[in-house]
Amino acid sequence: MKKLITAFGLALLITGCNATTPEKPASMKAQYEVALKNAQAAVEKAAAVDGEWRDIRWKKSKKRYLPSAIKAAEAGDYKKALKLLEIATFQAEAGYKQAMEQKNAGPRF
Amino acid sequence: MKKILTLLLSAGLVATATQAVSSPKEDLEKFRMYYEQRFPGIQLDDFGNGPYALDASKRLQWESMEEFPPYEDYIDKGSEIWETPFKNGKSFASCFGKDPSKVRVKYPHWDKASSQVVTLEGDINKCLKDNGEKPFGWKKGKIAHLGAFLGYEARGQKINVVIPDDPKALEAYEEGKHFYYAKRGQLNLACADCHIQYPGHRVRGQLLSTGLGQTTHFPVFRAKWSKAAANSDGMGTLHRRYGGCNKQVRARPFKAQSRQYRNLEFFHTYMSNGLAINAPGYRE
Repeated sequence: MKKLITAFGLALLITGCNATTPEKPASMKAQYEVALKNAQAAVEKAAAVDGEWRDIRWKKSKKRYLPSAIKAAEAGDYKKALKLLEIATFQAEAGYKQAMEQKNAGPRF
Repeated sequence: MKKILTLLLSAGLVATATQAVSSPKEDLEKFRMYYEQRFPGIQLDDFGNGPYALDASKRLQWESMEEFPPYEDYIDKGSEIWETPFKNGKSFASCFGKDPSKVRVKYPHWDKASSQVVTLEGDINKCLKDNGEKPFGWKKGKIAHLGAFLGYEARGQKINVVIPDDPKALEAYEEGKHFYYAKRGQLNLACADCHIQYPGHRVRGQLLSTGLGQTTHFPVFRAKWSKAAANSDGMGTLHRRYGGCNKQVRARPFKAQSRQYRNLEFFHTYMSNGLAINAPGYRE
């Protein structure tokens, strides 16, 4: 029983440590690189069907999630970059989905 | 039960197919009939006055504005541009013909040789390039001033866009039609949502206009554009407005004179066939 409790305690300690240890910048960078590729692919896919939304990368948008993410990563703020890429990817995927759903749009009175 | 389902599905398919192959003429008839039934008291040409045809108080304000219209100076500037010879001695008249009143009504049109929709702005810049001049910007400034002059000269003439019986022209028309009815952007709105479903309703302080008659008064002088411009020049082209609308629904706007906007202009202007040109117009 003692052994079981010790093992359980140890497991909890390890899990707890893992949860509280901040991710190493190297792993954040790797995550960012993957997320950037995914976001770029999603944006190109949406643009190919004329479904890109305004705030992803358009030069006159105040938000510009994709270029802002790249800028944040260049400044070493991968956490912010990943958050922005998440929004950019979501918007790109939604834009693509919308364009597909509207493929047969026509007169409706 | 199976038979009923098959019958219903077939009927649905036939209906969809009928909608898909409706001719431009049929589209125009339905489009016009919709607005005539929805706004029975409005004369056809009055639809070209946009929101001012729908609201008495807005109309009064607009009529007082028209006594000293803010676009007048830009018509004069456009006239000067028309008259000024190029470095090679030729002028816009060499490209468009001597009578400026005959120009505007020809646009937009289908060009079989290049298999694309040709717009007035496109031909203005083509004329400049062909004569060794630097082309104008696409959305405002000189291109809008010259357009204002040509529109003013053409006032009263009826819009008469021809969709030729050419598969490529019909494809361009269909693409423009699809653009008008397809929802886009983060706000999930189509041109049709505002201008077919909700004309006469307000979006913040603005009264939405009808899709019918929207292209008759372009280029337009907008108070909003004037306020934002350092030189108070509020003139802008139709494609400038398209870009603004797309931006407002949070879609990425296309470039002025892109294929998408040229085809949209083709459909959009065809829908106003028979209405009088009243360019340049004033809008808030």
